[in-house]
Amino acid sequence: MNEASALYPALPELILAGGAMVLLMIGAFGGERATSPMLSYAIALLVVAGLAIAAMPDERVALFNGSFVVDGFAKFLKILAVLGSIGTLWMSGDFLADPDRRKFEYSVLILLATAGMFVLISAGDLIALYLGFELMSLSLYVVAAFDRDNVQSTEAGLKYFVLGALSSGMLLYGASLIYGFTGTVKFAGIAQEAANGGIGLIIGLVLLFAGLCFKVSAVPFHMWTPDVYQGAPTPITAFFASAPKVAAIAAFVRVSFSAFPAIAAQWQQIIIFVAIASMALGAFAAIGQRNIKRLMAYSSIGHMGYALIGLAAATGEGVQGVLVYMAIYVAMTLGTFACIVSMRRNDKPFEEITDLSGLARTNPAQAFVLSMLLFSLAGIPPLAGFFAKFYVFLAAVKAGLFTLAVLGVLASVVGAYYYLLIVKIMYFDEPAPAFDPMGNALRSIVAVTGLFVILFFAYPGPLVEAAAVAAKSLF
Amino acid sequence: MASLWTDYIWPLLVIVAQSVLLLVVLLVAIAYVLYADRKIWAAVQLRRGPNVVGPWGLLQSFADLLKFILKEPIIPAGANKGVFLLAPLVSCGLALAAWAVIPVDAGWVISDINVGVLYIFAISSLGVYGIIMGGWASNSKYPFLAALRSAAQMVSYEVSIGFVMITVLLCAGSLNLGDIVEAQASSGLGRLLGAPWLTMLNWYWIPLFPMFVIFFISALAETNRPPFDLVEAESELVAGFMVEYGSTPYMLFMLGEYVAIATMCAMTTILFLGGWLPPLAVAPFTWVPGIVWFTLKVLLVFFMFALVKAFVPRYRYDQLMRLGWKVFLPISLAMVAIVAGVLQLTGWAPAPQ
Amino acid sequence: MNALLQEYLPLVIFTGISLAMGLALLVAPFIVAYRQPDPEKLSAYECGFNAFDDARMKFDVRFYLVAIIFIIFDLEVAFLFPWAITFGQLGVFGFWSMMVFLAVLTVGFIYEWKKGALEWD
Repeated sequence: MNEASALYPALPELILAGGAMVLLMIGAFGGERATSPMLSYAIALLVVAGLAIAAMPDERVALFNGSFVVDGFAKFLKILAVLGSIGTLWMSGDFLADPDRRKFEYSVLILLATAGMFVLISAGDLIALYLGFELMSLSLYVVAAFDRDNVQSTEAGLKYFVLGALSSGMLLYGASLIYGFTGTVKFAGIAQEAANGGIGLIIGLVLLFAGLCFKVSAVPFHMWTPDVYQGAPTPITAFFASAPKVAAIAAFVRVSFSAFPAIAAQWQQIIIFVAIASMALGAFAAIGQRNIKRLMAYSSIGHMGYALIGLAAATGEGVQGVLVYMAIYVAMTLGTFACIVSMRRNDKPFEEITDLSGLARTNPAQAFVLSMLLFSLAGIPPLAGFFAKFYVFLAAVKAGLFTLAVLGVLASVVGAYYYLLIVKIMYFDEPAPAFDPMGNALRSIVAVTGLFVILFFAYPGPLVEAAAVAAKSLF
Repeated sequence: MASLWTDYIWPLLVIVAQSVLLLVVLLVAIAYVLYADRKIWAAVQLRRGPNVVGPWGLLQSFADLLKFILKEPIIPAGANKGVFLLAPLVSCGLALAAWAVIPVDAGWVISDINVGVLYIFAISSLGVYGIIMGGWASNSKYPFLAALRSAAQMVSYEVSIGFVMITVLLCAGSLNLGDIVEAQASSGLGRLLGAPWLTMLNWYWIPLFPMFVIFFISALAETNRPPFDLVEAESELVAGFMVEYGSTPYMLFMLGEYVAIATMCAMTTILFLGGWLPPLAVAPFTWVPGIVWFTLKVLLVFFMFALVKAFVPRYRYDQLMRLGWKVFLPISLAMVAIVAGVLQLTGWAPAPQ
Repeated sequence: MNALLQEYLPLVIFTGISLAMGLALLVAPFIVAYRQPDPEKLSAYECGFNAFDDARMKFDVRFYLVAIIFIIFDLEVAFLFPWAITFGQLGVFGFWSMMVFLAVLTVGFIYEWKKGALEWD
């Protein structure tokens, strides 16, 4: 059939959505027993979807009258998102082993969230954008409250849901204003009309950006982040910090460049403000934190600020910087969270920073990798995190945004303080009791991300070039 | 000036006159339907039923009306007075409003809109509001519980009714109730058998027989008729959401209920029994005006309603929910797919206009 | 009168007249009937007891569940309406698109069923 083969570019989405439904049925009929095989099926599906993405051609293909776009940009970010999801599922084995949490829905929800991210990344009009956004968010609300006998987890889920619904509302309201003032929902059509859109269009744009800022947890829409990160079970926090951020940043970039190139000057101001505010808040608010997941929440707010610097530059190099930044950010986050997941004694999770004290003596290997990851998050050369920041700052400087670049550097200096503090606690404080030994899954994630972060400087070419190709497909 | 008269005022007067006529006829008919309901029930139980007011008790319903008007209206002290009084009005007003789109003969309809089925569907969904408002505003436990139950019940059967309507729409290809009736006139089983005058066999009740049955039973549940009258289940909830009501507010609820029953009978007639069409398209039958056939069919369906009320014991609530969600919903969902598949394969789908 | 008005004005008038009739009936006993309220008469009915506590109490979450499931299926029916009346024009692609949509919903339905969302005891 003609129509069926025309759907080929949407194959990864179809694999995930169809697979999620098959798994749902297997789970519904298999019950609790299906939980742990389900995890492997889900990982297999994600791998297949990832391979399907990698096999896609690089040139731009538009489906469904332009609502769904597959290009190099989408390809790059989808692979990133799928890696984030695989990493999350990979480290969830122990979490799901607990009899209270042996629920197969977990894997299905992660699959559906990933399918939503794919749609969001590939969105070619406002309706597809909203659909992807909601499919992703609704699944995330549920997983946030997944540990439902835990008050903190349910609180996190509820908070996330209420604030998320608000942000969806803003996004939708912005989208309808944009539709009203341009008469089209297609990004290409909006791009033509945007130049004479007037103040109404700008208001729509601001509201749309507010919704997206919420999802990337950029200031001033970050208030949900610390509570949700702290309350949600740790593997799920790792998920929140990685894949959905990639998808939301993708939507941010794509909307900005394919729908509003004509009013770049206007949205640049918004992004610059958001970037500076996020970096500053991420740097200063994290200092007083005692809970490591809360600290990571502020850290992720700060990192989104740095990533948005690339977008603020509004150039191809800026987009390349964003892509490189997100790739490295996902690796660093997954590695760090894998270490946090392993902070368990007698099968009970510990989340205080002081629980890490003296880790260098109880588990030197873990302490070393974790400190490398933290150094990288702080942006200390020659680790990967330094290059991530380097590319976005470079793009900002080339675009003439010197103040922004300087503020970024200052913020990362402040931020380095709290990362280094953790390293100090691990190496120089009196040792706390040792943690349970790490499982193989966690060990592999920590090893892979650690190696990536440490050895990135030796061979940065492929990633940077892939990002350049991906960025070019937007222009 | 003249154009104002011919363009606006005269048509307006015509509409008002038609509306009043339909309402009066409808309400008088409801009075006798109520009487018939009681008589049939009595006959099944070997009683005599109302037989005192007027010859054979024929004026019983009007006596009841007078009695209701002369009763003391009570509004409980704890009630939300506005909502408490609004509820019966909503219930009755909505039930009556559905009749605006029901064609009783070719072209005999107050408002010939092209989304008639959708309108009926919407109005019957809104019927839940009257009950929820009444139950909640009473601020008393029995009404509150009964209102919740009733809302869940009506909502459950609404879904199957929706799917049943979809199958009819698939066959008819229009949302206009008049067009749906017309679609049953010309094509169908009778025509396939080479006997186009057997219009009776063209009607959708034969090809869609399972849906006809589901629609009939769902209509019972949707209107809270026995055996699904769990709202009033007098042994559990005294009088359901109407416990605190008396006088005409109570009467309006009852009136709304019977008007809704009449609507459902009319819908069954239109969707499955060929509306105003004669059962056989041959000489003596075609002389009879359509309105007579329509009325006869509605009364036939109502007779079934009344018999079911008299014969069948009440369902338990869990049985009721089970029937709605686990039996009717899967069957009607499957039937939508099957009907669509058959139409697709055979090419019988109504051709584009 | 334009066509839209011709179709829908009768609807409004008919509804208006039926509401007016209902209102007249509703008001009638307040005008003609004998009234003598007293506190006992106006108290809420509770099988002869005074009311124990407020009637706006917590109730079973299953009602909420039924409402949610209802919304899903009612929306589905709403999607089916336009499809059903244009069925003859849509052809094979239209048919299979809707079948896929129905299949997705059926998967959800089976899941609800298996999870016991439809049980009532």
